[in-house]
Amino acid sequence: MTATLARIWGSGTGRLGLVLVVLVVLGALLAPLIAPHDPNQIAVMNRFSGPTLQNPLGTDQLGRDIFSRLLYGTRIALGVSILSILIAFVAGLLLGIAAAYLPPRLERVILIIFDIISSFPSLVLALAVVALLGPGLWKIILIVSVTLVPHFGRVARAQTLALKNSPFLEAERVLGASPARLVLVHIVPNVSGPLVVLASMDIPVVIAIEAGLSFLGVGVPPPSPSWGTLLNDGYAYLDQSIWMAVFAGLALTIATLGFTLFGEALRDAVDPKLRTEP
Amino acid sequence: MKTLISRRRLLQGGAALGLAGLPFAAPEFAFAQAGSSVTVRVDRDLQNLDPARRIGSVEGNILRATMRRLTQFAPNSFEVINDAAESMEQIDETTIEFTLKPGIMFHQGYGEMTAEDVKFSFERFNNPAEGEDPATYAADWSALERVEVTGTHSGRLILKNPAPALWLIALSDISGCIVSKRAFEELGSERMKTTVIGAGPYEMTNWAPNSSITLAANPDYLGDPPMFPEIVLLPIQEPQTAQLAFRSNEVHFTKLDSPSAAAALQREPGTEIINRDSINYVWIGMNVQKAPLDDLRVRQAIRLALDVDEILLAAWDGAVGRAHALMAPGLLGHWQDAPVHAQDLDAARALLAEAGHGSGLNLRLTLLNRPAYQTAGLVAQAQLAQVGINLELEVLDGGTYWSMGEGEAGENLELSIQRFGGKADPSFQTQWFVTGQIGSWNWQRWSSEEFDQMNAVADSTVDEAVRAETYIRMQELMDESSAYIWLTHEVNLFAVKDWLEPAILPNGDDWQYAHFAPA
Repeated sequence: MTATLARIWGSGTGRLGLVLVVLVVLGALLAPLIAPHDPNQIAVMNRFSGPTLQNPLGTDQLGRDIFSRLLYGTRIALGVSILSILIAFVAGLLLGIAAAYLPPRLERVILIIFDIISSFPSLVLALAVVALLGPGLWKIILIVSVTLVPHFGRVARAQTLALKNSPFLEAERVLGASPARLVLVHIVPNVSGPLVVLASMDIPVVIAIEAGLSFLGVGVPPPSPSWGTLLNDGYAYLDQSIWMAVFAGLALTIATLGFTLFGEALRDAVDPKLRTEP
Repeated sequence: MKTLISRRRLLQGGAALGLAGLPFAAPEFAFAQAGSSVTVRVDRDLQNLDPARRIGSVEGNILRATMRRLTQFAPNSFEVINDAAESMEQIDETTIEFTLKPGIMFHQGYGEMTAEDVKFSFERFNNPAEGEDPATYAADWSALERVEVTGTHSGRLILKNPAPALWLIALSDISGCIVSKRAFEELGSERMKTTVIGAGPYEMTNWAPNSSITLAANPDYLGDPPMFPEIVLLPIQEPQTAQLAFRSNEVHFTKLDSPSAAAALQREPGTEIINRDSINYVWIGMNVQKAPLDDLRVRQAIRLALDVDEILLAAWDGAVGRAHALMAPGLLGHWQDAPVHAQDLDAARALLAEAGHGSGLNLRLTLLNRPAYQTAGLVAQAQLAQVGINLELEVLDGGTYWSMGEGEAGENLELSIQRFGGKADPSFQTQWFVTGQIGSWNWQRWSSEEFDQMNAVADSTVDEAVRAETYIRMQELMDESSAYIWLTHEVNLFAVKDWLEPAILPNGDDWQYAHFAPA
């Protein structure tokens, strides 16, 4: 773990990614302590204010503090990403391993399900589901999770297929290890590594999907301060104030850039083919 | 004999030929000078072009340009002038005689307009054909008993009772459009939702759903041809996108949704901003059939918890006046002494506690996805939170939103932000709140026998003082129901290119494309 972190820190882009990710995570964790105002407190007489000491990033069309809303928006962005990816990770891991061990006919059924889900662009599928069921935080998490399952499932299956006939597992089997032990003690830990890298690469994608849905008005319902909602407000009131659009866009850029650079650095750090030191 | 043509003689001859040919080229010249087409932004795509079942002003404005009525409004005013009628005469309070101009031809070869078409067009409002839904605008022709055809081009309208609003609301407006009986019979009413067979100055030549609607000048139009050979309508829902389209010259005329948008576009070169008073009305309504809003105390509490002035300041930049009742100032029946409901949080909490909701309440506010309404919804959400009401906002696109009053969706509606366009006669404004409109446009599902009766009386009373008094009493009934929290009558703001002179009726929503002209 320490060695992996050191390898990430060793690359310029990895270091930048790590710093940005730490900033975003700290923003989310410490939002109630750092935010100077209640993110939903309206002050109509103070709307469209530029940055001031009282409102460091200005105020929106209802006089709400943009900085406080962005900080709380970090919680929504990360919350949706982490929960969606966690659900997809576990479901993909289990289905992928199952597909590798099940008879060919059942394996085929799982792969067809993966193909069907993958054939829908995630944003379009999310829009369709939201149109049917209505918007909501948990619905978004569920939709994003479902669209990511094939992503994890395919990698888990490929890794399991490569591992299941390897000599060290064969030796375990000869020594009398149960199938459950083989999967839990050997397959899951070995398969999880690549999936963690995938997960880190998916975080910016999910942040963008959540923000996109909220921008279109079908994501997190108001007054929750999703970054997408803030961007939409900024776009709608661009004539009166540029600050909402600028800062919401900046927050989104920092988070997606940070996680992308961090994910790439993590991938490079754990991939033995790319490792240069012994 | 030799004929020598000198250079001077050639020039003289050419000039004479040119002058001689000028009268024949005049119409073409007018088109060329005016430009090839005008592009207008509309805020949604068309949904139903049947004059009896149209949705709103998008369809209405297309029908106004593509169809003819017996009478019509003069450009930019509610003055009634003849259109397809050569003559119109009110014989007595319940009889109107008409004679059509001969030779008016319907589009696409559907023949000449006759009195039979007039009879079919008007009577179908109250006698829909088998399988047809009841006409949405049936109230416009509720006074009509029958149309008698007395000749190919002449006939008589027989009314059940005097109808003072008939000329303004029915005859000269969209409900007075004369459709082709043959086209309806051949094509069927379903097809006529998206097809116009009219006889107006324009013809709808193309409709690309959600993309554009093209109106081309009708070469067979009997009357003065329009100044522009083509009007293109672009459905652009998002106000900000509409502003960008205007800036980039993709759109030449657009209605604006906020004074700040007008202020921003005012600085654009070649732009004129038009600012007109409005008789439209925006309100927060409550479904009185849905618990807990079926309890008068809950509705009163919500009205007391809201600060309308703060909503107007946030959503409309404080640039619009506050409405206190349905009728805008200047209209017959305007309620000058309507109560001004001020915010009183303590009284609201007390009423909620009395109604058994002292510990809080969850409600839903349905609204259209326009920045002004969304902002109004957010302010209302924050204000109601102060008295323990947790308001969920349901923000919908135009297509879904405008059908929310129907069926199960209508029964389940709770609060909604609504905005209707007004017309010159108050009967047009009141007709949506009668019992018969429940399940259609009466989203509050408020039903009052007294209101319905008075509406019928006001519709058939000629005495203006009596009508005004009746409409004021009807607004008192609406106020007593507490189902309506009036927000504003809006202002009408438009951005237009300085080379264009649009024709806008005084209510601001109704446009006369046929009278758009070069400035």
